[in-house]
Amino acid sequence: MPPPAPISRTFRARCSRVPLLGWLSGALAAVVLERFVGTPLALAVGLPKIPALFGIDIMLKKPLLIPNAVLYTVLIYLLPIAAVALSTAFLTNRLAGGLMKLPVAVPVAVHLGLLYAALHFWADVSDYRSLVLKLTMIAIMLTLSLNVINGYMGEFSCSHPGFMALGAYCASVVTVGLFVDGNYFGIALLPGETGPFLFPIDLVAGGLLAAFGALFVAIPSFRTRGDYLAIISLAFLFIVKSLIENFEFVRGPRGMSGQPDLAGLPTVFSWAVLCVWSINNFVRSTVGKAMNAVRDNEMAAEAMTVDTRRTKIVAFLFAAFWAGVAGGLFAHVLRYVNPGTFGIQNLAEVLAMVYFGGLNSVYGSIVGAVSISLLGEALRPLEIFKWIIIPLLLILVMIYRPTGLIAFKDLEVATLLRPKQGPDGER
Amino acid sequence: MRKGMLFGVCILVGVMAFSTGWAKEPTIKIGINAPITGDIPKVGEGTKFAAQLWLEDVKAAGGIAVGKKKYPVELVIEDNESKAESAVKVTTKMITEDDILVMVGPQASKQAVPAAGIANNYKTPMITPWSTNPDSTKDKPYVFRACFLDPFQGPVVANFISNEFKFKKAAVLYDVASDYPKGLAEFFKKAWEDTHGKGSVVAYESFTTKDTDFSSQLTKIINSGAQVLFTPQYYNEVALIVQQAHQLGWKKPIVGSDSWGSAETVKLCGKDCYGAFFSTHYAAAGATGDTKKFIDRYKAKHGYVPDDVAALTWDAMMLVQKAIQGTGGLTGDLKKDRDNVRTALSQVKKFKGITGEMTFAGKNDPSKCAVIVKISDTGEFTFYKSVCP
Repeated sequence: MPPPAPISRTFRARCSRVPLLGWLSGALAAVVLERFVGTPLALAVGLPKIPALFGIDIMLKKPLLIPNAVLYTVLIYLLPIAAVALSTAFLTNRLAGGLMKLPVAVPVAVHLGLLYAALHFWADVSDYRSLVLKLTMIAIMLTLSLNVINGYMGEFSCSHPGFMALGAYCASVVTVGLFVDGNYFGIALLPGETGPFLFPIDLVAGGLLAAFGALFVAIPSFRTRGDYLAIISLAFLFIVKSLIENFEFVRGPRGMSGQPDLAGLPTVFSWAVLCVWSINNFVRSTVGKAMNAVRDNEMAAEAMTVDTRRTKIVAFLFAAFWAGVAGGLFAHVLRYVNPGTFGIQNLAEVLAMVYFGGLNSVYGSIVGAVSISLLGEALRPLEIFKWIIIPLLLILVMIYRPTGLIAFKDLEVATLLRPKQGPDGER
Repeated sequence: MRKGMLFGVCILVGVMAFSTGWAKEPTIKIGINAPITGDIPKVGEGTKFAAQLWLEDVKAAGGIAVGKKKYPVELVIEDNESKAESAVKVTTKMITEDDILVMVGPQASKQAVPAAGIANNYKTPMITPWSTNPDSTKDKPYVFRACFLDPFQGPVVANFISNEFKFKKAAVLYDVASDYPKGLAEFFKKAWEDTHGKGSVVAYESFTTKDTDFSSQLTKIINSGAQVLFTPQYYNEVALIVQQAHQLGWKKPIVGSDSWGSAETVKLCGKDCYGAFFSTHYAAAGATGDTKKFIDRYKAKHGYVPDDVAALTWDAMMLVQKAIQGTGGLTGDLKKDRDNVRTALSQVKKFKGITGEMTFAGKNDPSKCAVIVKISDTGEFTFYKSVCP
């Protein structure tokens, strides 16, 4: 009889047999549990209320409460997730297997539905969570769209906050003009109820304006690369910023406020999903491969009949479009925009997310955006030390993984969703 | 493995037994939304120090007495990184997570305007000590401020120059990309032209944030025949502008606004700024009474004379205290208490702050006096004149 394997290894082996469906169900169970018994449990373990971001904030502010916060996180998240995911592994594997036999849209919709439900219940506990979640999803959109240019096409573009500003201002001008009294048309032209229906069109318009602006960077990129393109794109960013500062009809440096409250969690979530889906398809299409060819060797690509100019234009326009949409959402989440927001600091943040997460990878962008956003939020009580810890992490990543945490990895939906164990028990 | 886990759980339970049982008695929580990191850390520092000084006083008194009960006070200080989105996040967090009763801050308008929208949505009273942008309190019944507004300050400066020097032609140099200088420059120009007729602002020159060479604008101003230069800039630009103007041969007066009122102005500018005037909230040199007490305590503790942000934050904290006491008693229901504090704040009349007397009387912006300060020949900000609405 062979000796029993160590607990940790069997545990890991069992975990590896849980499909994504199982983990999502576990997460859903945990957040539903928190929704209903979170407050009494928090009080029971000695916390004043449900910790907002896994208790990190409480731990940093009141180190004495660290064990309580850890205990809460373990009890409400880790244990239920592990319990549900492991105990239902057999069932979820069968279910995932069954779903995969249907058209791919069905399992994707089921998974997304579960994910949204989990996020919804999690954010339901406090508005602060919901705000952080929305801004994180916007960060994902921005990071992904910048990764298209900086990662997949290998150009160093610095104009992303500019595209975002164009989208944000275009979307704001439309909604503020149409739905808020006392602005461009004197009275609100349309009743507020039509807002949610017009909002997608409004965001697309913002995206299109950003894409138009991208032409001014894309065309010079035919002849310049590397540092020179970086400088041109930086110049574009400054042009956009000073244009807005000098336009009185968007209130100049004072910023525009009073955007109607249109960007709820479902709206932002759907746009983020749409963005991930379309960018993932884009980078795996022929254009995506052409972008990689341009990155690796532009002349060789040209010789291999890749139309480099068309590739560059399409990539820039596409990336700028999504940056513009993200900007429009950003303006409506904050309900205030200011040209100062779209400056070098914003650029540095998005670049950090791209390079931290990983170049040329959809996974990487998601990981980078989520980790930098959440870290930035959770470490806020450290004040100035936060700005030492995050850059330090970035330096460490650059030393040990020069292309980022998860670089050069395709997001293959079918692999992600497939069952991890066949019906007979083999993998 | 098992033993280790058991041990861990034991420690957990042990520590928890010690740390439970806090926050049982009702505490008044006050949020401080300050730019501790980012572009203007000095402003954040002043805010934090002034608020902590106030907390010391309250602690020494054993808490705030509301009605017949004394409540302990806790400050929730958060860093908004001087970014609009962080200010919004911090405001949401304080209101929904930390259950604050009142929020003081953010200071700069670009954070105060979006944060004010959030505070108003959650029906939580907020006082911004330093934001002079009219949008911060416009149509927001729950948002107050502790300073005067630019539409008041612009005419104050214009009238002061007209009456004091009897000048007819003025020049303005301002940063077009920053909301505060731009707004103030516009209000000054309007007030000046109302008294002296159209075209009396003979040079209206602008630059962009982080510019350091102003010689072309200053040459234009000198050639325009202006008798006085008004420049509503921050301390780092003031030093450059004044020094360059003197190098180019400008000998006439230079007048500034409350953004000059930082300890750094004279440090950077040196002798060039001596004799210049600016309008502000309070004058540190030659202060008397409570103002002097505050300045002395602050200086003893932190080693420098507090600037106007710190003084205004102090006044905002005192306003908060007065409003909480004015409710006559806390119900324990946060929503009702926030409403009551708002009502009490809006009824504040003739409140004697260290930056002057304030009256809200149903409005959200105080009516208070501005002070004209002269930079003395030793580099101190001395009181010159007080201008009331």
